[in-house]
Amino acid sequence: MNRNLARILAVVAGVLAVTLPALVGAYPLQVARNIMMYMALAITWDMLLRSGQISFGIAGLFGLGAYASILGVLRGGMPSWLSIPFAAIFSGAAAFLIGLAILRLRSTYFSIVTMALGEIFRIVIHNLHDFTGGPEGVVLQGVILGGDAGKLYWLTLAGLAVALGASFWFEKSKFHFALTAIRNNETSAKSSGVNIFNWLLLTFVITSAIQGMLGGIFVQSYGFATPDTVFSADFTLLPLAIALLGGIHSTVGPILGAILLGLAAEWLKLQIPYGHLIVYGIIIIIVILFMPQGLLGLARKTVRAADRRKP
Amino acid sequence: MTKLKTKGLTRRFMGLVAVNNVSFTMDEGEILGIIGPNGAGKTTFINLVSGIIMPSEGKIEYKGRDITYLPAHERARMGIARTYQLIHPLENLSLIENVMVGSIFARGNGLKAARAKSTELCGELGLKDLDRDTSRLTILEIKKMEIARALANEPEVLFLDEVMAGLNADETKDLIATVQKIAKERKLAVGVVEHVMGVIRELTHRVIVLEAGELIAEGPYEEVSKNPRVVEAYLGGAA
Amino acid sequence: MAMKRRTTILVALGLAAAVILVLWKPTVLIYGVQQAGLYAAIAIPMGLVLGIVHIVNLAHGEFMMVAAYATYFACTASGMDPLLAIVPAAAVTAAFGWVVFRLTIRRALKAPELNQLILTFGIGIAMSQGINLLFSSQTRKISLDYVSSSLDIGELSFGTWSFVFVAVAILYAYGLKFFLTKTTTGKAAMAVGQNPRGAAIVGIDVDRTYGLVFALALALVGAMGALFLTKSAIFPGVGAPFTMKSFCLVAMAGVGNIPGILGASVLLGVSESFLRAFRETRGWADIVFFVLIIAVILGRSLKWRKS
Repeated sequence: MNRNLARILAVVAGVLAVTLPALVGAYPLQVARNIMMYMALAITWDMLLRSGQISFGIAGLFGLGAYASILGVLRGGMPSWLSIPFAAIFSGAAAFLIGLAILRLRSTYFSIVTMALGEIFRIVIHNLHDFTGGPEGVVLQGVILGGDAGKLYWLTLAGLAVALGASFWFEKSKFHFALTAIRNNETSAKSSGVNIFNWLLLTFVITSAIQGMLGGIFVQSYGFATPDTVFSADFTLLPLAIALLGGIHSTVGPILGAILLGLAAEWLKLQIPYGHLIVYGIIIIIVILFMPQGLLGLARKTVRAADRRKP
Repeated sequence: MTKLKTKGLTRRFMGLVAVNNVSFTMDEGEILGIIGPNGAGKTTFINLVSGIIMPSEGKIEYKGRDITYLPAHERARMGIARTYQLIHPLENLSLIENVMVGSIFARGNGLKAARAKSTELCGELGLKDLDRDTSRLTILEIKKMEIARALANEPEVLFLDEVMAGLNADETKDLIATVQKIAKERKLAVGVVEHVMGVIRELTHRVIVLEAGELIAEGPYEEVSKNPRVVEAYLGGAA
Repeated sequence: MAMKRRTTILVALGLAAAVILVLWKPTVLIYGVQQAGLYAAIAIPMGLVLGIVHIVNLAHGEFMMVAAYATYFACTASGMDPLLAIVPAAAVTAAFGWVVFRLTIRRALKAPELNQLILTFGIGIAMSQGINLLFSSQTRKISLDYVSSSLDIGELSFGTWSFVFVAVAILYAYGLKFFLTKTTTGKAAMAVGQNPRGAAIVGIDVDRTYGLVFALALALVGAMGALFLTKSAIFPGVGAPFTMKSFCLVAMAGVGNIPGILGASVLLGVSESFLRAFRETRGWADIVFFVLIIAVILGRSLKWRKS
């Protein structure tokens, strides 16, 4: 796509995104917030995927951040806004410890351990229920920013901005080289001086911290947390489906996927109360089998094919 | 000056001895041939020296320092580099980006400096159109890119693992001349694993011969090629 | 050999622990072993697939869950006892699994491992959410008289039905060992697992072998689904913990070591049972597998560093 056209589109989208609260009512803003949340999570999942590692633990780190944030306020007396960066640090630290233990053996071992994270954190929260409120959850006195729809929207937008910024940074910096080299061929990367373990750990910590931050934003926006809501499989499934459908290994792909699937999700939730998640499972299967590069990949292939046909 | 030295280097895999008690040295400015029949342990040997696998016994010294158990990425930073026989071109990075990896991580250069240095390096090797997708390169270009990638480490010791395989006579001549020039200019110690004896004869100052993991002969190619034990290793005995 | 020495030490430790438990809290050992049987019986088929087809089926537990649901509806509709449904459940699950394999997993066998993980993950989600969609998340149970059978030995009283899981686990382990080492098909499968290209050269139909092994594994899982239904309540998410615990056990035993899974499952089962025996620690039982798999990973990465 033409550089300048892309820049113009980005600016227009940015302006639209920021001014949305002035243009639409509370319900569309809520939908937009959900879309942005899933978009941001999808982006962080993709950031780790670029190194060749698949995390199935997004919900785990998101939920952990949510609890860190809400308990930070309820038990730690933190102001709401502070609890959000606190959630980021907490999830980042957890990821650091977990990564330290498991990142030496990668791919399948790593992925399955991440799959267990949500369950493990949920169990811990159940067991420490005096502190965490157990399965019934905990409630905040009031929602952050007075519950104002516009302000909550901007808070989530800020969270998305962090994720977007991090992802673009990953694309433009040494991260791009390190992660792509690791993903392509670890042996070759090692021989070129890449300390694989360190880069993977750093990436895992950064993406988990952002996921935790988003959990904090989520829980502060709604004012309550229960294990079932914050550790919901939605928070792992949708970001995966979004990134896959839109096109992995890019920032634009998850953006595209989130808008498409986010709108579809809203509609689906109303149609099928139970088990609407099956659609995402099916999307994941179809994409990984038939278009692993996602819609973006398909678009690129079409452009390349058209280019080749030019005289 | 001796850059690299191994003493009694041995590697066993579940009862099979892949490299057996190999001791050798590599000096600055020399091009050493590493030859031997298939399965002789040449690639395992290079993997041991470059840090991809760890030895069962023995020592490896680089510029006097014991690097026997040092991880591969640290050896790369110290100045050891090697090529790989690429099966698939690496699609997600362009030609120049592939080369830049070593410059960034083994040498610690920033992105701009790495790009400048890598561009220069590719120029020396005769590579053009550096922003190309690697899926469109010719075999010769892939080989040159792989050598450039290794050289981006700015190494003092370089191993070339069968870089001449699959090239025609002209391309081989071209690459031999390039390797000689680069080795001389940079005063590298180069280890060349090859099956094509013509390349070994032209390129190397000295040759070591491995058979079933053991070092069975050492010396200039002319001598070694006449060594009856070497001849038997290649022609007679096991397949 | 170091292997034998290590195994001897482990067995000695295990026996010591067993003796302590028998004297102090025998029910921990008994229920632990019963649970171990359940875990092992479900983990062994995963080990089979991993060892021969070389994929981790993240939907493994979901296949068991679906088999259990199918058995539930068949039995409540017809009044049949689930035990009679074991063989049909195995057959149906095998057929279903084989279809899933040919339509999806087979295509991904040549793709990078990551694609396979995502694929089987998606399949698992599709299955659990599909069941959720069709039958809601309500738990279902069949009540049977014989499952509450118990034995009284002196002051000790414990349920005995769950020993059937132990029997099945042992049957699976040694049955498969026999199959893989003594039958032609089994030996061919082993060959494919160790060296697919070599096996193909020798004339073994690798593709067909993969499908066969996968179907066999799912038959075993399907049978367990029916059996599981006798004792436990089922709900769409019931399979997921078994997928993770099965992987944990396979990882502990080492790929290809099917009898090893029995030993590993005893460790897991008894540890969980131990924690469940005390009120303060009861909630922590389900974390044991996580701790174990982290220990395995740490242990393996340290060993790898040294070699």
